Amino acid sequence: MADIAFLLIIFFMLTAVYSTNRGMEFAFPKDDPTQTNVQPQEAIHIKITGDGQYTVDRTPMTIQQLAGYIDQKMKQAPDKPVIVHALPDVPYYTMIDVFDVLRQLKVKNVSVPTQTEIERWKFFGYLE
Amino acid sequence: MRLFREKKLVATIPTASMADIAFLLIIFFMLTTSFSPVKTSVDLPESVDRAEVEQNSAIVAITTLNEIVFSDGDNPGFNVNSAQELAPHIQAVVRANPNKQFVIRADRAVKYSNVDAVLDQLRRNGARNIGLLTEQKRPKGK
Repeated sequence: MADIAFLLIIFFMLTAVYSTNRGMEFAFPKDDPTQTNVQPQEAIHIKITGDGQYTVDRTPMTIQQLAGYIDQKMKQAPDKPVIVHALPDVPYYTMIDVFDVLRQLKVKNVSVPTQTEIERWKFFGYLE
Repeated sequence: MRLFREKKLVATIPTASMADIAFLLIIFFMLTTSFSPVKTSVDLPESVDRAEVEQNSAIVAITTLNEIVFSDGDNPGFNVNSAQELAPHIQAVVRANPNKQFVIRADRAVKYSNVDAVLDQLRRNGARNIGLLTEQKRPKGK
């Protein structure tokens, strides 16, 4: 009996993938006409240019400076939209790092535009 | 006459509770095991902010080799060649359940453009509820 039990234990131990079933919520805007579109001109624009290199409103910053800057801005205007613009070649975790900082600062209005939208904004001259 | 009879001490390990302990452990592992439909091994990025993702959510895994594995959460995952090919699968899932959560399991070193292509497809095809899987970030020096 105990032998069988131990066999089962070993089986479950080996198959137990501690599945990482936690992560960050990421919601796309609902198709809701009452929701305002992010106006790129008035938003804080975070551009991720490389591994650990961030440009916030055209000023290069470290992640700590970025956190301080956003925190200060959020105190002045809690609804201010933040655009996270990652360049195509940066590693995924840099974007997660920024997103994580924004989450911790409880920024309500985060926009992660896709490449298509960025092209459109560039076309209208909102982004450099 | 001997007053004190020498008692023989037998050294034994009490094994009566062994099966109980074993079954407790079995139950523990049975409950914590979840058979994930996508077994692609990826090195997830880390974050401090983490929320539970829904059970049986659809999974899109992206590896450093830019392999994309898709699973609707109930069936085993399969490889797709490009983000564009995800479109019909995403549509099928959204049609069945518009509030289904899509979980992105991307390797931390994946180029952002690859993640962006998948996000773009999800967005175009009506997915609204997205989760980005991450590991718990621990403070440095620990």
